[in-house]
Amino acid sequence: MVGTAKTEVLRAQIRAQIEEKLPSAFTVYCRQERGRILTGIASIDEAVQGVPLHAMTEICGSNLASSGKTSVLTSLLARASRDHFCALVDAGDSFDPVSGHAAGIYLPRLLWVRCGKSRGKLPPLEQAFKVADILLQSGGFGLIAVNLSGIPERVVRKVPLSSWFRFSRVIEKFPAALVFVEEEPHATSCAGLVLRVGTERRGDSFTGNLLMQMKLTVEVVRGMDKKPVRPEKFAGETGFSLRTQWA
Amino acid sequence: MFACFYIPDFAVQAVLLRAAAETRAELRTTALAILDGPPNLPRVFATNATARRAGIQTGMTKLQVETYGGVLIPQSEKIARPADPILLRKRVLEEEEYAQAALVNFAGRFCPRVESTCPGAVILDLAGTEKLLGPWEKAARTMNTQAEEMGLEILIAMAANPDTAFLAARGFSANGVLRPRPGCAWAGIFIAAGEEAEQLASLPVDVLPISPEMLEILKGWGIREFEALAALPTVAVVERLGQEGLYLQRLARGEIDRPLLTAEANAGFVASFEFDDPVETLESLLFILNRLLQELCSKLLAAALAAQELRLAVELEVRQIRRDQKEEKYQHEWKLPAPTQDRNLLSRLVQLQLEKTTFSAPVRRLSLEVIPVKPRVAQENFFAPPSPEAEKLEITLERLLGVVGAADANGISCVGSPCLVDTHRPGGFAVQHFSSVDATGPQFFPKPGRGGRARKDDATVEAGSDAPVIALRVFRPARETWVELDGVRPHFVRLWSRHWRVLAASGPWVCSGDWWNGAAWIREEWDVALKTPAGPGFYRIYRDRIQERWFVEGVFD
Repeated sequence: MVGTAKTEVLRAQIRAQIEEKLPSAFTVYCRQERGRILTGIASIDEAVQGVPLHAMTEICGSNLASSGKTSVLTSLLARASRDHFCALVDAGDSFDPVSGHAAGIYLPRLLWVRCGKSRGKLPPLEQAFKVADILLQSGGFGLIAVNLSGIPERVVRKVPLSSWFRFSRVIEKFPAALVFVEEEPHATSCAGLVLRVGTERRGDSFTGNLLMQMKLTVEVVRGMDKKPVRPEKFAGETGFSLRTQWA
Repeated sequence: MFACFYIPDFAVQAVLLRAAAETRAELRTTALAILDGPPNLPRVFATNATARRAGIQTGMTKLQVETYGGVLIPQSEKIARPADPILLRKRVLEEEEYAQAALVNFAGRFCPRVESTCPGAVILDLAGTEKLLGPWEKAARTMNTQAEEMGLEILIAMAANPDTAFLAARGFSANGVLRPRPGCAWAGIFIAAGEEAEQLASLPVDVLPISPEMLEILKGWGIREFEALAALPTVAVVERLGQEGLYLQRLARGEIDRPLLTAEANAGFVASFEFDDPVETLESLLFILNRLLQELCSKLLAAALAAQELRLAVELEVRQIRRDQKEEKYQHEWKLPAPTQDRNLLSRLVQLQLEKTTFSAPVRRLSLEVIPVKPRVAQENFFAPPSPEAEKLEITLERLLGVVGAADANGISCVGSPCLVDTHRPGGFAVQHFSSVDATGPQFFPKPGRGGRARKDDATVEAGSDAPVIALRVFRPARETWVELDGVRPHFVRLWSRHWRVLAASGPWVCSGDWWNGAAWIREEWDVALKTPAGPGFYRIYRDRIQERWFVEGVFD
């Protein structure tokens, strides 16, 4: 007990001396609390508390199989359009307004930019990136989603890392979320959150003669909760179900 | 009290008004003559004081002037050669109209009751403005200063009745004689009530609005000045010269007091410019368009209005003569979400549009029209979501259209808000103009629809649940495919150069429509689960019963 008291006194003295010379030595760096936009899918929101603002998010899933990434995006847009103006940069012109409306997107608050529809213009991927740039500069949108689902993976892979880095630096300054939907993650550490969604191989999607639901899994590949220095990587998967409009 | 703003050498000043501000002061000291008349024999129509001192007189032919060293300057060329002895310029009526409109607008700053008396002269009714403008001397000084800032050189005469003010301004400026009020130092004319006859006495009778015949009669009688005319017995004047003579005599005495014929407020805000030689470069067009926008925005500011719509009309020079030749015109209009007075915003919108447009011929004429409305008075709403600024959003949308194009092959816009169309035809949607002016916002949010097709009018739908709905990622246009059937059910589907086995299928769901208007369609839809390496893929395929072809509409993703 006496020894412990002496240790405490000694520690306090050393700390006082160090603080006198280096005042910031014991300063605790508090990461600024970032706002989030919920995705509307309970299991994802429970795992990551929604999509972060001031950061880039990637939602990845297979283009061939029904991975559910478009549904996650649509659900996110539905939640975001309640409180924000949203922009959807559709590189493959694959957004279905009927599905969007059914999911609950408030369409008048959604700016839909359809890329690759006019001849003599840039390729769709370059259009999408240029449009995203313009939207970031203009500001005012709470969520900017870039859907690269229609673009072949080999083309997206060629985007240099500097482009992703530039986006991540720009979005840090704005109270908005930048979401990329693609087949594979490409932004590496520039993304604050990376989700991978996929279909459960087993699952009863059909009931009788009707397609009623899809069972999907989501893996949080990279998150940014609570770790100020390096991102966390979760190994666990979370499952959720989606239902059809007529279910 | 009435004030007359008079522009001496109006035709010359109309030309100078269009010149750049930097060169205007220098050009005022340069000899400038305006030519008018038939192309084969133009004559001098108006000159400035420097040209008159150089010996140029009204009525001289162009050849006579050129012997003095005159050089003709085309309209499109900026007047920037003050080193030349005498500058000649063709008369352009549009420039004079513009200058007169600018004078009327300028006068409107001080008083709403303005009469456009004649080209180069306006009369204001200053009754009731004493407290606003202050003493007349101070008011005149302010008016002079503001006119100089606008590029107008005006003379101001104030009198108790409008005609006296007009005659004083016109008469004394023509003679180059200015008679300042004793004791004040401003270059203007002030005629107090009761002093009209005395102050106007020395003016020559040709300042009056007099017919040549009447002028000849008066000069024949030796009546050369107002004083002499005013001194004639009234009855004798009426007997010999009639009512016209009486009217002229009363003008000379300053006894006419009439109400002003006020100018109507500008019904439209239109500015136009015609090039002497058609231009092909974007920089030239933008330079002129910026000037036109500056004029229009100044008018808007002066009238406390804002622009709700902007219309651009471009007339092209058609060079080839064709049988069905029509004057080529290009028109574009912008409907702004919020009224604006911002010249930079309007200029940027026009610039972005012209950068995307290619004209088939050089541009001959430009015209800009603004539809004015009262400026929007908007109070920030704490409960409204943050939104893009309405003014900046228009520029953003124009930039986006420049990147992705205006519309697709079906004419549907590539940039905007999606909206549902009231139709059962699958894939029916429209894209409307996106606006951040969220007037009402949703009172509640649409419930995810049931029954396969969501309806456009969702205002009565209850607040939706959070249950996520499967979205369809469509292929636009639908991809034609080949389907192998097992009886009636799909067994294999060919997609992306491979055959995929169908694990399960839901269908057929037959739907049709538009058979009443000639655009009939019939589809047999299947929701199929395909076996892919990445897992099951749920696709919607359909058979077009009219064309008897299979298509893949999209994937449930």
